[in-house]
Amino acid sequence: MRWLRNPWLHRLLGLVLGGIFLYAAHAKILDPRPLVTIIWNYRILPPGPVNLMAIYMPWMELVVGIALVTGFKRRAAALCSTGLLIAFMVALGINAVRGINVACGCFSTSAEDVSNAWLLILRDLPMLLAALVMLVFPPARRAGVPAQPPTPS
Amino acid sequence: MLLVSSTATRRAAGARTHSRRRLRRAIARMVPCLAMRGLVRDTILLVIATLVLGTAANLVPGRQLAWWGKGFEPPRAGVDFNFLDPGSADAMRTSLPGVVVLDTRSATEFGVGHVKGAQPISYTELQAELTPERVLQLRSAGAVIIYGASDETDVEQLVAQELHRRGLPPPYVLIGGFLGWQGSGLPVDGGAR
Repeated sequence: MRWLRNPWLHRLLGLVLGGIFLYAAHAKILDPRPLVTIIWNYRILPPGPVNLMAIYMPWMELVVGIALVTGFKRRAAALCSTGLLIAFMVALGINAVRGINVACGCFSTSAEDVSNAWLLILRDLPMLLAALVMLVFPPARRAGVPAQPPTPS
Repeated sequence: MLLVSSTATRRAAGARTHSRRRLRRAIARMVPCLAMRGLVRDTILLVIATLVLGTAANLVPGRQLAWWGKGFEPPRAGVDFNFLDPGSADAMRTSLPGVVVLDTRSATEFGVGHVKGAQPISYTELQAELTPERVLQLRSAGAVIIYGASDETDVEQLVAQELHRRGLPPPYVLIGGFLGWQGSGLPVDGGAR
């Protein structure tokens, strides 16, 4: 499993996953209003926190995307992206079980962009895998020496 | 004598520090959470950055969303629109004068087949499509019935909400959408029968 700690693999995964998050964030940041409707259409959250979600989620995606692409706090960004992707997949899964295909709001804020929820979960799986690799297998600091978890000094 | 005493004190202090470090390392090994302290700290940093950026962006005039679910309410049945089954919709369409039927599906789907006499309307282009003339025309209609592809889409409810905001009485949303209409064997224009 040493190849999973290869720094170049982490840079590549960071670029790809970060790029996806940046692309996903841009339309929602430009206009968060349609996102309120999309989140509401998931029928999971009560009306109150729907707006908070629409206000902060795109910025979370932006911050995580920048961190993954630049490598600044990449492991923390991988943790955040893991959380985000799990939350998305749970929300989609709930609606897939209900038999409702919602507009996922993944890359656009169009409520017409309705897709099959199971396919969307399948699409999220490789992204979750990439985030988990970056989180669980931090890159080796030197060639052949696996990074140790930081110890308190 | 004094020199010896201070060296001994320093050695004792060094030994204490060393043993304290060893103890901390041992605890960190036993409690993985402590070893992940850096990761938790970095994650908190990213969350704070998100909160600051999101809050600042939402304070920009023109793009303010209410913080707690007010100001942009999701469409509500009985307030923004009313549901209508296909049979009643057809009866209303044929018996009332000036009933407008709006199709929210894509242009391709509309071309393949639509409810008899329906007009296409695009949710994504809604602001451009709702010209003052069209809003006036819809206001003067006897009733407005809106439908989508099926029950699985909510676009028709959003269109109904927007029309209601623009001064129309709550429009009707067709239960089951076009699939429900077709399933009931009601009249269709276009290729789909």
